[in-house]
This record gives sequence, C-alpha cells and structure tokens, in this order.
Amino acid sequence: MRASAYHNGCENSHCRAALIGAAASRIGLERRIYLMPFAYLPVMAQSGAPKPPRVLAAPTKTAWQPIARPASRSRVALLTSAALRLADQAPFIPREDLSYRRVPSDPAAGAIVIDHHSGIGRVPRQDPEIVFPRTALAELAARGVIGSTPPCHFSFMGGVRRHQEIESELAPALADELAQAQVDLALLVPY
Amino acid sequence: MIEGRGIPTLVIGTAHDIMSRVAPPRAAFVDHPVGRTFGPPHDRKRGEIILTRALAELPKFTDPRELRDLGCAWTPDGSRAWEEELRAELLRDR
Repeated sequence: MRASAYHNGCENSHCRAALIGAAASRIGLERRIYLMPFAYLPVMAQSGAPKPPRVLAAPTKTAWQPIARPASRSRVALLTSAALRLADQAPFIPREDLSYRRVPSDPAAGAIVIDHHSGIGRVPRQDPEIVFPRTALAELAARGVIGSTPPCHFSFMGGVRRHQEIESELAPALADELAQAQVDLALLVPY
Repeated sequence: MIEGRGIPTLVIGTAHDIMSRVAPPRAAFVDHPVGRTFGPPHDRKRGEIILTRALAELPKFTDPRELRDLGCAWTPDGSRAWEEELRAELLRDR
C-alpha cells in the first residue's frame, strides 16, 4: 500500500509522515512506514565531498597583435567574467553557462546585477563598478584619455570548465562582436 | 582568439599567480583583493587611476605573455592585513 495524498499539495516529508501516521492509526497499523523518508545523509555527503581540482587552461592557439594606435585614438571595450548584466537581461545560469551579454557602455543604461556564483561576490555586488569600471572608462573617454567606447561591453561566466567550447564557441563569438564594433583594444577583467 | 582577429588585449587582474600560469598576451597586475580590481566600492577616482595606469603601460609591452605590475596597493601604507580577511572570505563558500 502506498500513500499518495499530500496535505494541500504539500510535499514536505514531515507533512507526509503525519498523514501516513494518521491513516495508519485509523486502520490499526500504527508505526508502519509506507514511504521512504527523504535521505539527507547521501546529499550531505555529496555536497561536502571534495571537488575535483580546478585546472588552469591556456589557449591552444596563441596570437599577438601589436598595439596599432595610442589609447587616445582607440575604441576601448571591457570584457568581464563576472557574469554580470542589466537587471532586465536574461540571467546567467551557474555554473556552466557559455552565453554572453551585451552590456551597454552608457553608465545611465541601468543597474548591474552579478550572477556569478563565487563567494567573493559580497563586495562587488555593493558596487559592480569595482570589477566592471564602465563609468570610469566613460569618464576617460570624455576626457580624451581614450578615443571612445563601443555601444556595448561584454560579459560572460568565469570559472566554466567547458574549456574546449569556450575556445571553439564563446571566444570566437566575442571576437566577432568586438570586430563588428570596430574595437581597437579589449580590456579583460577576470572575476 | 581576440588577438587573432587583430584586436590587442590587456588582462587587468589581481591574481598574480594565475595570470603568470595562464600567460595571456598582455597582463597588468593590480595588488588588490580579488573582486576589488578597481578599488573599494564607490571609489570612482581609484577606478580611473587604475585604468589610466593600465593604458599607460600598453606601449611598454614588447613581448607576448608579459606580466607588468601597475604598482597599486590596496591600502596607502601597503599593509597586507587584508589577506587574512580575503582568505576567510574565499574559504567561507567552499
């Protein structure tokens, strides 16, 4: 016999246990267990188990592009691995999200949200500009220290272990975006 | 990949050991706690100073995979007291 009723749809194991106990009492089968209670210990063991060591991956193809023009005549873009975005953009999904977001370079475009799962997020969430200095870069453009910024900077999820797909999919897509935006220099800020 | 498309890159980061190992085409080291590359929250001036220093460093990169120190200290007196706090912060989320 299996109990299938949930108290108002509640699937909490304590509610189920109470229902089962009450039903069992009515039919004289007290203390019989009809459902396996949720097993916490295996989950705790799994979550507490050591993670595999993180592997540092370097690009398989290296390239070097000399600086062609001074910063004062360059269009400069930011790339961040903080998985940040505007609040109304689609969230990143930790931990292996390979998508990216175009984040407007205009600081007035809206508040920034950080989706990255890292434990260091407490401070940058107070002010994402400390990992994504788009206001400071806009100020340098206004003062002529750099030539300009493109309409958008770019954001993606750092710490992703799908290294091969990063190299074959994400990095080429970002390179295409930067080329289309006629960017002269990309500043990459790891999170 | 981006350099291969004709666009120079500069990594600006706080993890000296990781940048040394990964060796991107150009890297600039900022001696701040991770997650605070451009200074403490709401210090825009500090962010501008660090960006300006990084940009000024660009012509000095002559060889691929060079790592240059921007000479930024987290506190004016150069104290390393922040390291203990950062270590606890990093281990808290394990």
